[in-house]
Amino acid sequence: MSKKYCEKFNIPKHLQVPLGAVLPANKKENKGMITGNWRTVRPVIDHEACTLCLNCFLFCPDATWHLDEKEEKMVWNADYCKGCLICENECPVDCISAVNELEFKGGVVRLEKPF
Amino acid sequence: MAKEMFLAGCSSAAYGAMLSRVEVISSYPIRPYTGIMMELSKLVANGELDAEFVHGEGEHAQVSIAYGASAAGARAYTGSSGVGVTYAMECYSPAAGGRLPCQMAIADRALDPPGDFGSEHTDVMSARDQGWIMGWAADPQEVLDNTIMYFKIGEDARVLLPQFCCQDGYFVSHIPGKVSIPDQKAVDEYLPPFNNPHPLDPTKPVSHGPQIFPDQGPAIDLQRAQAFIDTPKVIEEAVADFNKQFGRNYDPFLEEYMTDDAEFVFFLQGGHARTARFAVNHLREKGVKAGMVRLRFMRPFPTEAVAESLSKFKAVGTIETSTSYGGAMKGGNLIHEVRSALYDVPNPPPVTSFMAGLGGEVVSLEEFYSMAKVLTQAAKDGKVDQYVYWVNFDKV
Repeated sequence: MSKKYCEKFNIPKHLQVPLGAVLPANKKENKGMITGNWRTVRPVIDHEACTLCLNCFLFCPDATWHLDEKEEKMVWNADYCKGCLICENECPVDCISAVNELEFKGGVVRLEKPF
Repeated sequence: MAKEMFLAGCSSAAYGAMLSRVEVISSYPIRPYTGIMMELSKLVANGELDAEFVHGEGEHAQVSIAYGASAAGARAYTGSSGVGVTYAMECYSPAAGGRLPCQMAIADRALDPPGDFGSEHTDVMSARDQGWIMGWAADPQEVLDNTIMYFKIGEDARVLLPQFCCQDGYFVSHIPGKVSIPDQKAVDEYLPPFNNPHPLDPTKPVSHGPQIFPDQGPAIDLQRAQAFIDTPKVIEEAVADFNKQFGRNYDPFLEEYMTDDAEFVFFLQGGHARTARFAVNHLREKGVKAGMVRLRFMRPFPTEAVAESLSKFKAVGTIETSTSYGGAMKGGNLIHEVRSALYDVPNPPPVTSFMAGLGGEVVSLEEFYSMAKVLTQAAKDGKVDQYVYWVNFDKV
């Protein structure tokens, strides 16, 4: 918002909005908002069968899959995966399977404080 | 050198988009605007226009594609008619609020039910609170000219707003008229490439539509309101420059026809102005001092210009061509805006509205004559008997 409007309307600093409310995006994970605890089902990958086609990376709505180029393996982010299973659906070689979250030790990430 | 062709509004919109060098076009068929996309697809296929032509799976997708492309920095173009316009309703606020100046070509159409292909302004008028620039052309030439001008206005750094570039379905979109097509070089001089100040860029990522707390809401709304306060000045500059560059003679906000000594005026927007001009000529021959004022921008509504113009007359009749069921005046939309503009004028003229040109009907000369009768009486009495006249049914 331009300076003259902020002055004219006495808008306090914390309410001065950038143009179109378009903000610089986070380049790092926002540790304050863990959504992985919404998950009831976890996608598990069979690295042997995986062809590194990157479908899971492309289709994930939460960007929880990424390719570790050094290890040549797909890496999964437990903090943000909500268990939607789009990756399981889109995998062309069926190397991702859905496993009940409670079968994992520490399954269902718990927040220390409620959100 | 400008080229003269005989084109209907759909084709002239397509030529306007081509001359504007649109980069992404999102299409979906619905009559009558569909002719625009048919023409554009030919221009893209034969190499005259280098643009991405994307087919959305519906109008909601179309507008989403357009503002997504705009967010990435492309000059984006889309369009629709009737229920297609209302199907995309969810997308209008994010596009305007995100300050993404894509353009949507509207060839208006009556809304369902039932199925009516005819022209009515209600479809896009119902989106006039969404924060887009909006205005009607009266003939195919103005459609082409507005297409170019609206990009110039919308993409201006002081504005950055999307635009509805509207024309009457069938009356303007499908009836050919003489169109002077400017040459590309002249348009390039007038309309520079689009420069998005905050494009989607993987090297400098941005977020649109962040979650906010309630106390941040008003500041965001205020910013959007201010954009419309700043827009009229940009419109005046853009229209003056256009007139100079292309030899046209547009008034930025209002076309006044035979108003110098008019006792009353017909106030309207869009293609019915052409019948209105004939009606005014005929009425003048009979000694009736009629005039016409045509609104070129519904948003931003030129409040001061309308108040200044209409306060000169003894009576005003708004020719609605759209519906506002249950609204303050129980008729159309123009009367609400006009009465508001005139509210603070000392001794404002009486204003009545005429429900005419609905469902795709022409506003016939006979209807203009009966409206003139009502307005002549109102000018004499200094008041109106009714605020809404249904011209097909009310006996005058």
